[in-house]
Formats: sequence, structure tokens, C-alpha cells
Amino acid sequence: MSISRRNWLKLTAGGGTGLALAELGFSASKVQAATGHLKLTGAKQFTTACNFCSCGCGMVCNVVDGKLVNLEGDPDHVINQGALCSKGAAMQATHESDRRVKTPLYRAPGSDRWQELSWEEALEKLARKVKDVRDSTWIATERDGDVEYPVNRTDAIGFLGGAQNTNEECYLWNKMGRLFGTNFVEHQARL
Amino acid sequence: MTNHWADLQNAKVFLIEGSNAAENHVMSMKWIRKAQEKGAKIIHVDPRFNRTSSIADIYARIRPGADIAFLGAVINHVLQQGLYDAEYVKLHTNALLLAKDEFALEDGVFTGYHEDKHKYDTASWAYDLDAATQKPKKAASLDDPRCVFSKLKAHFARYTPEVAEEISGVPAEQVKLIAETFANNRPGTILYALGMTQHTVGIQNIRCYGILQLLLGNIGKAGGGVNALRGEPNVQGACDMSVLNGYMFGYINAPNHNHPTLEAWTKDNGTFRRKFTVNGLKAWFGENATAENDFGWRWLPKKNGAKDYTVFGMIDDAYAGKLKLLWAVGQNPMVTNPNLNYVHEALSKLDMLVVQELWDTETASFWQRPGADPKAIKTEVLLLPAAYFMEKEGTISGSGRLVQWRYAAVKPPGKAKADLEIIDTVFRKVRDLYAGSTDPKDEPLAKAVWNYPAEHTAEAVLQEIGGRVLSEVTLPDGKVLKPGAFVGGIGQLQADGSTSSGAWIYAGVFGGGKNLSKRRDAKTDPSGLGMFPGFAWTWPGNMKILYNRASCDADGKPWPGTTPLVWWDATEKKWKGVDTPDVPDATKGPETPEGQRAFRMNGEGIGRLMAAVYKDPDAKEKGLPRDGSYTPKDGPFPEFYEPIESPVANVLHPKAQHNPCVKYPRVPGKQPVGTAKDFPYVLMTSSIAEHWCAGSTTRNVPWLNELQPECVVELPTQLAEKLRVKGGDKVRVSSARGEMVVKAVVTKRMQVMKIAGQDVPVVWMPYNWGFKGLSTGPSTNVLTIDAVDPGAGTQETKACLVNVVPVEEAVAQR
Repeated sequence: MSISRRNWLKLTAGGGTGLALAELGFSASKVQAATGHLKLTGAKQFTTACNFCSCGCGMVCNVVDGKLVNLEGDPDHVINQGALCSKGAAMQATHESDRRVKTPLYRAPGSDRWQELSWEEALEKLARKVKDVRDSTWIATERDGDVEYPVNRTDAIGFLGGAQNTNEECYLWNKMGRLFGTNFVEHQARL
Repeated sequence: MTNHWADLQNAKVFLIEGSNAAENHVMSMKWIRKAQEKGAKIIHVDPRFNRTSSIADIYARIRPGADIAFLGAVINHVLQQGLYDAEYVKLHTNALLLAKDEFALEDGVFTGYHEDKHKYDTASWAYDLDAATQKPKKAASLDDPRCVFSKLKAHFARYTPEVAEEISGVPAEQVKLIAETFANNRPGTILYALGMTQHTVGIQNIRCYGILQLLLGNIGKAGGGVNALRGEPNVQGACDMSVLNGYMFGYINAPNHNHPTLEAWTKDNGTFRRKFTVNGLKAWFGENATAENDFGWRWLPKKNGAKDYTVFGMIDDAYAGKLKLLWAVGQNPMVTNPNLNYVHEALSKLDMLVVQELWDTETASFWQRPGADPKAIKTEVLLLPAAYFMEKEGTISGSGRLVQWRYAAVKPPGKAKADLEIIDTVFRKVRDLYAGSTDPKDEPLAKAVWNYPAEHTAEAVLQEIGGRVLSEVTLPDGKVLKPGAFVGGIGQLQADGSTSSGAWIYAGVFGGGKNLSKRRDAKTDPSGLGMFPGFAWTWPGNMKILYNRASCDADGKPWPGTTPLVWWDATEKKWKGVDTPDVPDATKGPETPEGQRAFRMNGEGIGRLMAAVYKDPDAKEKGLPRDGSYTPKDGPFPEFYEPIESPVANVLHPKAQHNPCVKYPRVPGKQPVGTAKDFPYVLMTSSIAEHWCAGSTTRNVPWLNELQPECVVELPTQLAEKLRVKGGDKVRVSSARGEMVVKAVVTKRMQVMKIAGQDVPVVWMPYNWGFKGLSTGPSTNVLTIDAVDPGAGTQETKACLVNVVPVEEAVAQR
């Protein structure tokens, strides 16, 4: 969704004027605002919310030609009203970091290195492992005292994570886990 | 949070204990400062003088793990001095209900304890029930010695300010000052975080908060409440979506082995929650779930009732070779789990580890850990590149239960994919592998509804979560819901399978066919209290302040002198207000039983000072409970116990040193317990403003590494002098489980405390480092203990014993 840029930016002078003002010795904050505008000319805005603590501070992503050119606190947000903390303010660097993992990687048993895989190879490996483990560890029934209960589960598959995910991912993650038959479905709530 | 972030501005006093909000929930300060400008008082209770302490009106230094001793004395002072809200207590809590005579506490142990099992038989922790109605008998006044209120008073009478000082280190006079400051400025709010929960008495720490706030009438009011400042962006939503071993469909208990049918489960869990379970089963299995086949009950996996399915159970089972495949998404246990050397051994025994991440983390590369031999580790590892939040769409739920939509702004780098797409693909692949199977074990995969569109997948899933009308429904008011419509709220959910909702507490997030999480009205606030009902959507039912019925008296009128939130409109015969009224039925007035259930999610419908064992009988279905109440495994009242590793004997009852329900070590040889003789200092750990949790993300951001380049240990000045350590010197910190070398920060922020007549030095470390990322360093969690709270399964990372010695070279160089 595109939202309209906030009014104060609309009211500031255009980029070229900003440079002219700088030459005339105007305040740094005005120049910053104006050069910010230059950078954001033609940018599309997308609203999101920060991904560190659980305050849920609103953020605005500014995107030009598919590139994230700026990320800042959302001034029209009811929790943070435009402000961000040191971590939130540093978020842009996470998207453009060259340290991101960009392709599926595999480490064979006993190996000391990663090797690249295609998504198809990686997910095929994973799906087959799920099936193998599920089939070889299935507990159909369980005895407690004199009663044999149907339990239909495996205790050999663990799912860990969710606090970094969206609600929709969490919902499917849990649904998938239980449908596979595991109750080892857990996330960072305690950690 | 019972309340929400912007509501903090409405408080007149803050008790912040177990949270360094100024660093770890920075934006809370925006609203806390607003309240402070209007005269609100801030009380900060913490073992470390940190940035939150620096803005507090009262700072109390407390020993890690001694919170119940301190809070017990605050509660006792409120009771002894009559500072409680007697009318609220009588109306909205179980104070007047009669408890069983045989209930008692002796030498720190409640009645019914089985030492061999570390468990209680809880039968005596109950009410005296009326034989005919099976409802609790009620006393005429709070002075009745058999009533809950009298039991509460007797229980906490031992917690004098002097006892609190001896155990916790908070001076007796300060205990009284805090109790009076908090009680005499209302509404008052309590903020806490992992500082309160990461203990072997975590649940009972929070029970103290519930009791204190009920006594003061602070629950259900603007500026009041018990507010958990949760640690991760969507830890609230992950809990709501039941990414917790014990839950399904939104805080509904998952079935155990002895629940082979929905009816067997209902006998333990009640008819009220059965309705939501049926809606969940309909969401998962669609038309395949029918009344005739128990709505597909047999397709749910049943837990072994005696087995530990928490993350600690996972690690223990991995170490035992039982857990074969571990799949971690955005979680980095090789930094954040306690007792890390043991975690490493456990991961090394897995067949396969799958890590879905932005970065190559300590968990993904655990086989590269310094000191490990990759050749000896036979675990296969897959590292799947995931998209970050600005690269995908969907909702998250913050601490205040605000469900917000995020738009995808940019594409993920390289071949990275959104977790939603990865999960969807893997499920379909596994289902395909089982295509044509006639084995009953594979039925859940074939019978589940799983056909999300490739475009707008997240919104389609949110629709399933929020709920649909499946066949025509006529509501009590005559309104007809047509099949295919989205459910408008919890009240529209049906017990017979004619509606569905994947998580009933989110019912209505798509009300009227619109995605309400996308709403953006940050201007309209009729309450003037910061509620903004048209901004995104809050569960349940866009309710901003839970239990708000308690803000009214018996007649449904706001308590005198309080800010009106909701009220009974006698003319319109309806509960109304500036917030969604928290009542079972908005048309049932104060003259009806439904109009007097301010705490309607309890069996009793009222707040529980004593967490008694209770199931409310169903009036229509004889022999089945309507709903039950939660009773902690370790007692109906909070009792103080020392941490598993503690430098002192339990002052209250030396025979019951620790929580009697904690079984530790669980795995002999892997969970050693240190003593003060070898490890004389108390260590507490926490996060910092510049790095966050495992640091997987923040340690890959250069700016943040410049702000906080490495892990340190903060030592009290007196201790550093004794050890002949100066700031910047390297020291070796060790516990019974591991050791590491870090630089020392010598500071008055930490102190040597006087506890039970002994000097107890307390040291602090952040836990955000590991061997991967731009900024690397040893992980503090090699030191910490993985003993857990018996009910919550939360580890005691806030209190363990360590030793600190200078590293020889550093001293020699001086």
C-alpha cells in the first residue's frame, strides 16, 4: 500500500533548493530534511512494524525502483508516533546486508563445509526426512494402566520458532506440526 | 498485557520489577514519561541499577530470585494496613469464598505433597462446595476465618518487611514505602518481563502481581493492569497461534493420551472451550470434520500426559537420541538456551537439523563451534534462507494484543523466500509423498484443508484464523449469517460445526469481510485515553483493556472517582462504553449471573486471590464442567523458595530450600549444580538496548556493534577490589556448567548485598554473543542453569552461581 508522505516533507523545499540553502548557511536540520526529500523523490511508501521487541512500533519503508532507500519511524502510528530505538533505527542495514544467507545450504554428516543446493533439492531432502522419521517412530497407541489409548503421534520431530514470524506463518507452522503428528511445537516464549 | 502501550500514560504509579523497560522496551518510556510529567511515581525494583532505575522515583535493589519475599511483604503490608479496595475485593475476587479446612502450609510445603514424584495432590486446595449446586459457599464478611481472604492474610503474615529485607536485601522501610506509594496512587500498573519469569518460581512471581492488583482494584481499569512486556516482535502472536506444545486453536489445552474422544477431553476442559475446539477442528479439517466423526478428533496427535514437550524436553530427547529431526525457524538455541555445552551435545546427536534463517547462526553452524570436531558430528544440516519482515506480508501481534498488518516493501535478497512459502511447500511435498496411502496414521495429511492460493497467501490464512460461516446461522437476536461470510466475532461462533475459526480469540479480525488489521485511523480516540479503536485491530473483539467489567460496581456503574471505560445502559439494556465491554453477553445486565463475571475466563467468573482447584458445573449438560480454572502445580498461593543455585539457606523454611516441584538435574551428569563454596557470586543475565536476544541480527549491523562491541561482566566495585581487577581487565567467569573469558566492567551499578547476614556479591552479564556474525564472542549461556519452572517450563537464567577470577596474563602485564 502506498500512503501519502507526511505533510512536513511536502512543505519542505525541493532537493535543489535544499542545496542552495546549504550554500547560504541555513541550518543542518533543514538541509537534512531537504536532502532526505531528494532521496525519497518518487519513492513508494509501505507501512510495516519493527521486528525487535514487542512494542510493535510502526515503520515506513521508502522504496525506489524496488530498492529500500529509507526506513524510518511511522509518524502516524499510535504506539511510537514516529520514534524508533537504536535497534529499530538500524533496521535498514539488515535488508541490504551482504551477510544474509541467499541460497539454501547443506552440510553433510561429518563435513566441515557448506555446499549450495537448489530449493528443490533442499526441500525434497527435508520432506523425505520428515516422512522417514515419521514412519519409523510412529506411536499409534499407548498403554496407561489397563487401557490402550490411540495416540497417533511421533515424538521424534521438533519444531522450534515462531516469535520471529507472522501470525499466519505461526498458524501454518503449528498446523503442519500437529498434522505431521508431533507435539514438540515450541518457540521463544521462555527464552 | 491486560492493557496496552499507550495506556501507560494513564497510570498514577508504576511498579517495574523484572524489566529494564528503558533499554529493552524503549517505546514504553514514551508513555511512562508522559505519566511521570503528570505526576505519576515510578518504582523500579531490580538487582542492577540500569537506565530504568535512573528515571525512577524509588529504586530498590533486590537480590536475583528473591521477588516473592519482597512482593509477599508488599502484599502483607497492604493487607495489614487495610490499603486494599474492600468493595472491589468482595465483588470481583474470590475473597469471600470458603476454602477447605484441610488446606495448609507446613515447613514451606502445601498439603498433598508427594516427595518421590515432586508433585502435589491438589485435592485439598479447593473450595468448600455446596452439595446441591456444586458451587463454592460464600462467607458473609472478609473476617470469616474460613474464607479465602483470611487464608491469604494468614499465608502472607510471615512476610514481614524485616523478613523481606533479610531475604531480598530491600530495606524494610523501603518495602513499606513502596507498598504505600503503590497502594495510595491509583490506578497503578505493573510492568515486568523475563526478569520475573526466568526463575524456578516464575509463575508464582506473576501470581504475586495478580494478587496485589486484585487487592488494589487495579485490574480492568485504564492505567492499571498486569503488563507483560514481551521480548520478541511476535512472541504474543506465536503464543496466540499455539506454537506452544500444550495448546491448540488459541490457549485451548491440547489433548493428552487419555483423551481419545472429544467427550473425554471435555470432561477435563469444559463445554465452554469445546465450542472453540470444534471451530478449530472445522478450520483445519473443513467438511471432513463432522459431528459424526467427533469433528476429526482422532486426527489430532495426543500427548503423553507425563512427558515434557517444552524446548527443554526437546533438548533432553535429542541428547537421548529420541528426537531425530529438529527444525528451527528464526530461533538460535545455541546462543539463547541455558547450559549451552549440553545443548551442543544434544544437537550433535540429531539425524538432521534444519535452520530457516536470515543469517548463518551459531545454531546452523553448531558443528563449527570453537572446540568442536566437525568430523565427529554426523548431523545433516540444512540452512534455508528466509525473508525478513520488510520483504513479506502478514500480521504480528505486539504485547498490547494489537494485530497489525505489514506490507511487503521489497523482495528478499538472492533466493531467500518467506517462511510462509517454505512451510506451505514442505507441507505439500510431504502430503504428496503420502498420496494414496491407506494407513490410518496418514489420514491427518489427507483430511486437512490445505489449499492456500499462491498470491495473497497470508491474507487467506488470516481469513482461516479469523473464521468463516459454513452453514446458515440464526443468532439469538434474529440476525442471519450466510454461508461464506466471515465471522464477525467470538459471539457468532457456533458449537455445532456451522462456523469455523482457527484461533477463536482472533474471531472477527476479518469482520464484515474487511482485513481490520490494515486499519490506519490514528486520529479518532473517543476515549481520550489513547485507545484509537480504528487503528489496526486488537484481540479479543478490539478490546483494549481486558477485564474492564471490573471497572464497574455491582450495578454496572463505573467505580466512583475512576475513568469510565464501560457501563450498563439501563435504558438501552446494553453494556456500552469507550472500550468493547468484557462481558459474556452485552445484553445481559448486572441483575443476571452473566452480568457479574468480570473475570469470565475463570470457572468462578471472578478474580482468584487463591488459585483454588475448581471446575464450574455445566447447567445444561449434567456431569460435564462448563469451564475450569488454572491452578499452578506448586501451590494456590505464592511461597518463597531459593533459586536452585543459591548462596544462602531459605530463611523461611530451611527444609524446603527450593521449589518442591522442581526436578533437577533431569539428565544426570549433564546438569551439575554448583555451590557457594566453589561459585560464591550470584549471576544475573539480560539483554541490552543495542543487541537483542541471540544477537543473530543485531551483531550483523555495524552501527550496533560500534555501540556495544563485546560481551562483558559487570562487577561491584567492592568485589573488583578484592579480586584486584580493574575495568577492562580480562576475567574468567565460571559456573558448574562452563566457563568463559570476558572483560570486566567495574561499576557501582552492581553491589555486594547483605543477605541473611552474609555478603552476597551480585554480577551481571548480557547474553547476546556467540561465534558467528560480525561481532563474535563467548556466549554467556554456557554458564546459566537449565532448571525450569514446574508449570511454565521457563529456565532460571536470572539467578545462578558463578566464580570470577582474573586471567593471569592480564594481571601479570600490569
